[in-house]
Amino acid sequence: MTGLAPAVPDTVIESGRFRWLAAAGAVVALALVYSQLQHIASFVTYDLLRLETGSRLALAIEFFVYEVPKVLLLLTGVVFAVGVLRSFFSPARARHLLAGRREFSGNMLAAVFGIATPFCSCSAVPLFIGFVTAGVPLGVTFSFLISAPMVNEVALVLLFGLFGWKVAALYLGTGLAIAIAAGWVIGRLRLEAHVEPWVWKIQSGEGMPEGAKSWAERVVEGRASVREIVGKVWLYVVIGIAVGAGIHGYVPTGLLASFMGRDVWWAVPVAVLLGVPMYSNAAGILPIVQALLGKGAALGTALAFMMSVIALSLPEMIILRKVLRPRLIATFVLVVATGILIVGYLFNAVL
Amino acid sequence: MSAHRKIEVLGPGCSRCKEALRVVQHVVDQGRLDIEVIKDESIERMMALGLMATPGVAIDGKLVVSGRIPKAEEVRTLLGIA
Repeated sequence: MTGLAPAVPDTVIESGRFRWLAAAGAVVALALVYSQLQHIASFVTYDLLRLETGSRLALAIEFFVYEVPKVLLLLTGVVFAVGVLRSFFSPARARHLLAGRREFSGNMLAAVFGIATPFCSCSAVPLFIGFVTAGVPLGVTFSFLISAPMVNEVALVLLFGLFGWKVAALYLGTGLAIAIAAGWVIGRLRLEAHVEPWVWKIQSGEGMPEGAKSWAERVVEGRASVREIVGKVWLYVVIGIAVGAGIHGYVPTGLLASFMGRDVWWAVPVAVLLGVPMYSNAAGILPIVQALLGKGAALGTALAFMMSVIALSLPEMIILRKVLRPRLIATFVLVVATGILIVGYLFNAVL
Repeated sequence: MSAHRKIEVLGPGCSRCKEALRVVQHVVDQGRLDIEVIKDESIERMMALGLMATPGVAIDGKLVVSGRIPKAEEVRTLLGIA
């Protein structure tokens, strides 16, 4: 990361009709490719590479050729849409709407805003201070801070693409539920005294006036988030799917059922514990998880692991230590971990 | 030359903040501008400016970019030298 890369030419904002037409054409073309992926994958595997039908290598290759473009196309589409959606939200706007809210309804609203507001965990501290000093209740602030990383669009896309919409919906629903419940519990515990005292003395500046954005600007923001997010995770996705493809073709079915199956009661807590020190994105882990599931691992256990990896990250706790005393951090971890445990057992029980 | 100008890049040192600094530094270096580039990682400064999402950019003490990496052209416009 040393030296300067050539300056990226700035996007010219044009509102010409041809631009929209070209974009619509591209979407249609990609949707066509998407709908034919299964045929393309078997064509590549059996006609182009002439692999033996049903052989291990063929299974692995077909899986890879099918999943990589499928997940990347979905990911690009959703990240773009979410980027455009997020241009309607900002932390300042969320704060304005959450200040002085009552508990519970405030927790629900905060959890939803946590998903919709652009947020990176390195902003956790200024956001936390900005919220609590403006009168957003502590528990409501936590609902926001929990849902922002936990319910993320990359995980949602991968779950949808690899497990179907039911699992994606369950993940979205339970992720929101954990953020609401955990924030509510933290609010009830009255832990304001465990916020570092200097935080309450800070006088927040008024910030930046927000002008109305045009649709062209929103599209530019959508594209920027594609460049930023897909540009960052695509390699993880490809590697994850490659490993998944290997497992798909070579690991015998049922091998993992003995220690990752739903009958193993301790699998969920172990999965949560393993997830805490790991700091990764859902993108790299989920494709592997999907392949493991095919071999007998339980979905609840796998999801608990994933949620723990993305919602309870050690680096974020270290960042938050600046504003929170150890006891509040411990409470936060405990409450969220309990929520994830419940979700893990729930998924194992119902699916 | 006009009064002393400064441009601050605010953020706790995450990769996006470094990227924002790189863009700002690039604009100043390339244009041989007489503007001081300051990288401020302190939360106090962020709060004083009312910044809640990093990275942020402030020109002459006024917050102009919040929660994203600005483009070079945009920084030039904000500096009034485009």
